Amino acid sequence: MLRCKKPLIYSQRRFLQTRTPPPNSPELVHLLGAFKSLAPRPTPLSTLLSFGAPLTPSSIVLSASYVLEELPRRLVQRVRSMEALPFIVGMNPFISRALNSYRQTFQDLATAPPVVDMNSNIEFTKRLEALVRSHSNDIPVLARGFQECSKYMKPGAMTSFLDGAIRSRIAIRFIAEQHIALTRALKLALDRDSKMDQFLGVVDSECSPAEMVKLCTNFVHELCVGTFGTAPEIVLDGMTDVTFTYVPVHIEYVLTEILKNAFRATVEAHHKRHGSHTTMPLAPVQITISHATLPPTPSDIISNSRIRTPPSYVSIRVRDQGGGVHPKDLPRIFSYAFTTARTAEGEDDGGGGGPYSAQAVGGMAAIADDGDSDGGNLFGEIVGKNLQTGLGTIAGLGYGLPMARLYTGYFGGSLELMSMHGHGTDVFIKFRCLDENTSIEV
Amino acid sequence: MFGHASRNASTSSIKQIVSSSSRHYSSPPHFYSNKQLELLASKRANRLSLRQLVFFGRSMTEERLIKSANYVRTELPVRIAHRIRDMQSLPFSVVTEENVAKIYALYWDAFEKLRNYPQVVTRQDNDKFCKFLRTILGEHAAAIPILSLGLSIASPHLSSEELDSFMRRMLVSRISRRVLAEHHLALSQSLLEQERSPDGGGHVGIIFTGLSVKRSIDKFINLLLNSDSMPERLRQALPLGAFKLPEIQVDGQVDASFSYIREHLEYIILELFLNAIRATATQMHSNPETVPGVIRATISSDEDDVYVRISDQGGGLMLQESQTPSDLFSFSHHRNNTRLNDDRLGALQHFSRRKGGLRGTVDETIANPGLTSQRLDSAEVISEIVAPRQMGIGLPLSNIYATYFGGTLELMSMDGWGTDVYLKLPRLGTNLEGIEV
Repeated sequence: MLRCKKPLIYSQRRFLQTRTPPPNSPELVHLLGAFKSLAPRPTPLSTLLSFGAPLTPSSIVLSASYVLEELPRRLVQRVRSMEALPFIVGMNPFISRALNSYRQTFQDLATAPPVVDMNSNIEFTKRLEALVRSHSNDIPVLARGFQECSKYMKPGAMTSFLDGAIRSRIAIRFIAEQHIALTRALKLALDRDSKMDQFLGVVDSECSPAEMVKLCTNFVHELCVGTFGTAPEIVLDGMTDVTFTYVPVHIEYVLTEILKNAFRATVEAHHKRHGSHTTMPLAPVQITISHATLPPTPSDIISNSRIRTPPSYVSIRVRDQGGGVHPKDLPRIFSYAFTTARTAEGEDDGGGGGPYSAQAVGGMAAIADDGDSDGGNLFGEIVGKNLQTGLGTIAGLGYGLPMARLYTGYFGGSLELMSMHGHGTDVFIKFRCLDENTSIEV
Repeated sequence: MFGHASRNASTSSIKQIVSSSSRHYSSPPHFYSNKQLELLASKRANRLSLRQLVFFGRSMTEERLIKSANYVRTELPVRIAHRIRDMQSLPFSVVTEENVAKIYALYWDAFEKLRNYPQVVTRQDNDKFCKFLRTILGEHAAAIPILSLGLSIASPHLSSEELDSFMRRMLVSRISRRVLAEHHLALSQSLLEQERSPDGGGHVGIIFTGLSVKRSIDKFINLLLNSDSMPERLRQALPLGAFKLPEIQVDGQVDASFSYIREHLEYIILELFLNAIRATATQMHSNPETVPGVIRATISSDEDDVYVRISDQGGGLMLQESQTPSDLFSFSHHRNNTRLNDDRLGALQHFSRRKGGLRGTVDETIANPGLTSQRLDSAEVISEIVAPRQMGIGLPLSNIYATYFGGTLELMSMDGWGTDVYLKLPRLGTNLEGIEV
């Protein structure tokens, strides 16, 4: 007997959200317009550092005012570039979550009251901290969104959007974190009734690459043992005493990503060659540090006989015996969301299965909404989440290498990878020293 | 074996060729006699792969040898014709430069001779042909330094890209002609030996089928360690008189082997090691208390390629801010301003006048274990490796050899510490020669 299907009446089709999302509120439109006309201007690092040299109640007010001027300009660019994405991409719940978050932050900062004294600064800084925290999951959220939208975007478009988004994010967080650090330091100084002639904030003038290597190695070692049951040792050589001026959290992020790759590759290659229950020792990961100032070029000597100092770099080479990258994978190794980590079945299962269901790209637990990042580790969202989400996530989201490269390149450094297939991989990390003479921009 | 006797004739024969034709080229008829050249230049060069060279060379018979001879006889003029047309496209002021003009005359002479060479029909014909080939190879031995010198002098008239790509095309083509000629000469020799005592040799023509990277490195290390037999020229190439040799270690897949032209591999390996040793020795000189660093060679392979990495602790490349490591592969002084150093230009002039000229190859005699007794030969031979270095074209030449059958050569620097060089050579032998068609 034929069943006549009753046609769905319109009201019963509520679950099909064909309606477009509401447009921006008039206030937001106005604000966006106002700030859009102000072109983004480069922020010299020296300007930011000047607020801490010396660090006083009046200089902190200047710093806050600078933040209130700069951040909305940069945030409006973020909003605009996201609004320029294809409509269907913007409809993706993860992408739209990120977009709304940016709009909200922009509006908050654009309408924030001016900071005039220490008290209003404390209020302002609290808000700033909350805003930073609310954005700590941006990259995993965007990653999940783009993974679902991959068929709607050309790879080139996605890459250039993400490159711009991440670079901009580095800058925004730098400016925000710097002010937060200054505020905290000033409070401490005032409590102790001491002076701060020069506080560099998130910049450390005596960064020790060797110490950072040891720090990151300890973390990655734990992660690796937790995931695979074993982990390689490291051999550290080169100019291990060298120190330089840089932003420690950037170094930490880059080193952690690279070491994760090296450790994972070493263990997997070892198991492949000797079986998973072997007792043979793992090949060590060799890390070498060096530092040099480049030789001057003839044009460095300007006519009025002021010599421009050539740049200095700290180089860190991470050499593993993890079998190398297959030549066919090499062209894609710096692409977003390309990962050689194995993905588990059912990764789109909507969150059931607890933390162990999270694997590689798109795992639900990777974007769990608790957003509480550890205060000391500003980029904990990638690193911290991976620890929380347990098995398999040592491979991360497939964003590790391209992001690490963006971080090293941010102040003029570089990241390059050389593979000897059948043997191992060498990664060359170069950080440009943030010395006084050079004109670095944020 | 490869034209010892005729090497000395090189410079003098060039003089002869040039003087007899110098009036010829400036006169109007030369323009109109370009027709033959254009005919051959319009043909495509027949690019071969290593595999084809090996395949053809196996199971040599007299008939196949004759075939090979005629193939070489007809292919060489096509490739030379391409080069001549290329030169004709250079600015007038460049080709009229004294040294470049010499090479132009030399190439034209070779072209005419080859074009008019009669067909090879019998074994005796092939013997004559081989002799003829050796003569030509010998005459062209001095071409590299002369051309290098000429282009350096004429460089104001050329952009660095033009100079670089022209030089590269010239050298690649030159290697290709030598590969063809020497392979045929080796096949001829093999047939002779086979007829005398038929047993294998581990090689087909100039291609060695079980080439081991480690063995080539070990050979070089032995040469270095036996300081008595170390030729004076090599000692000169390594700086600063008496010095402690850095330790050379080889690890990885040490028994990796593949089919390749041994001369090509050995040229690259020796060149890279000399660079590493030189850099390390210089570091040691500035820091006498420090223990000499180790030079570590790592070998690996997969189904498609063989990889060699040479790591030294020689302080790194220390390039200027605007330079990249690939600039070191350039012949142009714009990208590498050390090219116009006096000592380099001087070396270029020296080699352009020298009787033996320069071949830029590694002679087969160096391969013989009984090397120490052949001191004179090895001195000559090592000088062939050393000379390009002194002229500053060692790395560019290595790069050309490496990329010839589709391999790669890359440099990474840890400024302040050392340099890593990455060589990748294809092992399937299916890539075609990297010459322009």
